[in-house]
Amino acid sequence: MARRRTDGEVILLWTLPVTVIIWIASFLLFPGFNPPMSPTMSAEQVAAFYRDPAHIPEIRYSMIVFNWFGVSLIPILALIVLQVRRMAHRTPIFSYALLGCAAGSPALFLVADVCWLLAAFRPERSPELTQLFNDFGWITFTILVPFLIGQSVILALAIYLDDQPRPVFSRWVAYFNLLVAAALAPAAFVGVSLSGPLAWDGVLSFWLKNIAIAVWIVVMGVAVGQAIYRERAENRESGDELVSA
Amino acid sequence: MSAVITPPASPAAPPSGPLHQRIAWHWRHNPKRELWLAWWALVVFYSVFWLIFFVITRVQPPPQPTADLAAQVHYFHVRHLGVPVGFAVIFCIGGMIATNNALIAYSMRRMSVSPAFAYSYLIMYSLSAIPGLLLLCIALIVGTLRPERDPEAISWLYDFAFLSFDGTMGVFLIGSLIWMLAILLDKNRVFPKWFGYLNLCNGLTEVVVAPCWIFRRGVLAWNGQIAWWLDMVVFGVYTGAFIYMLRSMILREDFGTGPLPELKPELKPDVKAAS
Repeated sequence: MARRRTDGEVILLWTLPVTVIIWIASFLLFPGFNPPMSPTMSAEQVAAFYRDPAHIPEIRYSMIVFNWFGVSLIPILALIVLQVRRMAHRTPIFSYALLGCAAGSPALFLVADVCWLLAAFRPERSPELTQLFNDFGWITFTILVPFLIGQSVILALAIYLDDQPRPVFSRWVAYFNLLVAAALAPAAFVGVSLSGPLAWDGVLSFWLKNIAIAVWIVVMGVAVGQAIYRERAENRESGDELVSA
Repeated sequence: MSAVITPPASPAAPPSGPLHQRIAWHWRHNPKRELWLAWWALVVFYSVFWLIFFVITRVQPPPQPTADLAAQVHYFHVRHLGVPVGFAVIFCIGGMIATNNALIAYSMRRMSVSPAFAYSYLIMYSLSAIPGLLLLCIALIVGTLRPERDPEAISWLYDFAFLSFDGTMGVFLIGSLIWMLAILLDKNRVFPKWFGYLNLCNGLTEVVVAPCWIFRRGVLAWNGQIAWWLDMVVFGVYTGAFIYMLRSMILREDFGTGPLPELKPELKPDVKAAS
């Protein structure tokens, strides 16, 4: 069996810390996250938020940078898919399903991003319309969990069914992914209330969801990094054996 | 870069005990467990999908495109709880539909055709959740969020929701045609040829629904007898057929590369899976 080509995977892996730093910087720069805007703000208050001369450049620059780097998670997901393909499965079902989830969240995130940028493009627009864009952006941003939940659950199943003496990922990675999926689920209920833990600025829909995503990125970055380096070490060993044989 | 193949499944037949014991046995030993997992995810998703859209949120069948502003505002008002709660369930489980697309892509990998068919279908149908489902849900949730919103803005959300749902057809049209072409070209007899033509019927519904962008009333409007009712019947028949067809494919699967063997009537599925 021809060995898998792995050149360049380490470069893709190390784009992750760079991207995470850029994301955190943009996240802190966007005035709407810091603290999260309240859904109970009136249309006039929302319009005033977008008309604030201090806010306009912050909204634009943070969202332009998010627009550039919002899809940076896809190469990491591709690396995870390649590790799933090394698992002891009979079919490529799990790797296909993970590929199917990969583009969904960035696509929905771009919708939210465009809504916030639109609201800031003509802040003199009628407050009703600015509030509509703001609501659309916030609801989309908060509710973009289906693909993230899907990929966590699918990855957990793939790891659980990886029956081999040295599985690609340890079992705890599967349980961790199920935990993250559970932490993301409440954000799906964001439309139920304008205040409280489920509102888009609430403990569950904003804090728990975004912290879960951040923790997932860090933990899975480390886990897939370990798997990649281990695979490269195994490839080197088997390469040495071939040479010495 | 193929995956490591697990050794052949345990020769033991599944136990005949209570349901949870049998499920546990299949989970550990059934060599087709990945395929069955994807198939059950598909069955659960479509069951929940019908329940949420027709019973809990009551957004299907769709409302009148000709409703006046007061009726549109009222439409959101009476659904202010059902829409956000019902669609929350869709957003929680919606990602699992990826396993359905993966299973259908797998069916094309099992055929004698190029992998390009499987990959095209996988990409199109992975994309399809956004125009086909999620944008509708988001627009309706935003609509129910503030009942006091300007009726003109509510009306924009009303149109956006139902036109994004009915009027974004390309992924389904071309996706169905890709699956059809693969089935018609396939020499491994994964699916019967009539099912290939049923894909054409499903694809054509997307052509028939296109005039919803033009007509606000009549049979071709977004709630019309042709654009909605006829299409929904075809979609229902098609969904039922492909759920059955995929089940039959999994039962017949031998993990080979040649023609898919026919299921012998005397072999029960469980016995066959263990053999």
